[in-house]
Amino acid sequence: MSAINLDQRLSSRTLERHPFPIPTGWFFVDYSENLKPGEVRNVELFDQEWVLYRNESGVPGMTDPYCPHLGAHIGHGGTVCGDHLRCPFHHWEYDEQGYCKKIPYAKVMPPIVKKGPILLTLPTLDKYGMIWAWYHPNCVAPTWELPYIPEMEDASGWVGSRRGTWSANTFLQEIAENGVDVAHLKFLHGAPIIPPVDAAYEGHRMKLDIGHGYILGDIHGPGLQVMHFHQNGITATMISYTQPVTAGRSQMNMSFRHPDYSDDAAKFKEAERVVDHMIGAAAGESSAGFEAVDFMVWNHKKYRPKPLLCDGDGPILKFRKWFSQFYVEPQTAAQA
Amino acid sequence: MTSIRAVWRDGTEHEMGVPDGASVMETLRDDGADVEGTCGGECACGTCHVYVDAEWLDRLPLQSGEELDMLDAVSGLVEVRPSSRLSCQIRMHPALAGLRLEVAPEA
Repeated sequence: MSAINLDQRLSSRTLERHPFPIPTGWFFVDYSENLKPGEVRNVELFDQEWVLYRNESGVPGMTDPYCPHLGAHIGHGGTVCGDHLRCPFHHWEYDEQGYCKKIPYAKVMPPIVKKGPILLTLPTLDKYGMIWAWYHPNCVAPTWELPYIPEMEDASGWVGSRRGTWSANTFLQEIAENGVDVAHLKFLHGAPIIPPVDAAYEGHRMKLDIGHGYILGDIHGPGLQVMHFHQNGITATMISYTQPVTAGRSQMNMSFRHPDYSDDAAKFKEAERVVDHMIGAAAGESSAGFEAVDFMVWNHKKYRPKPLLCDGDGPILKFRKWFSQFYVEPQTAAQA
Repeated sequence: MTSIRAVWRDGTEHEMGVPDGASVMETLRDDGADVEGTCGGECACGTCHVYVDAEWLDRLPLQSGEELDMLDAVSGLVEVRPSSRLSCQIRMHPALAGLRLEVAPEA
């Protein structure tokens, strides 16, 4: 009995289910239609609570809840006041960048408020009919922009209003890793073969080709995946935008779109069937959609930083190296 | 404990004992000089503004950027002189025995 094999057998005792911080990137917050001008509410995301609001000009904002003045929770009684978010306690007002713009009773504004933002906020914007926020633990400004997605942004040529949302007790990297773990498609999902996979990486982007063009994926950081399915002469697109709610809990969200095949009933029907397949609702299929079987694994597994991989497992470690760029060590404030 | 001489806003002059290591503001705030010291030493309120007698001025450490910014911010409401200091930024030590200052008017 060698020491190496003993270490291997004992290793699971020290493994964790979610050993990483929240990754940095652009993330879906909510659908734009769900936040009206003047609305203020609390949301849980990125392992903390945030105050989400839309000012009267229509610009969304997302701030830390606790007022820099005396610590009131702005999401309980705070209001939108023109373009500002106003704390209920003493009516200090902040803009979406976190600058204090007004203290109604001060004869002199503290000089620090003119030098920079004093309230922690996240860069937010509306795109694809959704509110997106840039998360970086140390307030670094966005290093890349959200891409143009014709399926979501063109005024015509695309149809489909179907969406899905699922909660998973795991972290984003584990969910995304299934894209390069092609062997599980056969054994967990029951696909007829282990499809070939090609993955290419460039900066925050990853391009995925599963089955020589059967599924082509454009992945933009940890929070946005655009997956194009090509089969039986049609294409359909799954836009996936998973949220890191806590370090160990993720909310998976997807929108499904396909070209407007309204002049071709057969193609339209096939595109809808492919969408059904993606969300696991297709009738009479031998392979299982992700919701039936992936959650069973995700919700209970531990993360092995040094997995025991064999040939045929696919480019898992290269994927992990690419994903590691999104983990940034959070700084702590010198003064609490 | 080191003694200073402070002229209060009513014109009366007082000998006041400041604990070594503490700021002059804390004594002015706590021992009857009617100084608010609202922000506690963060250079954010300007309420502990004093004029330091000229002979003592160059024996004090230089003003920080934060102190200068706060003095600049109150300058529209109250007279700021070359001898203006925020007393929260004057940390007491025995070499400052006899320091004389005047509490500035309220902004």
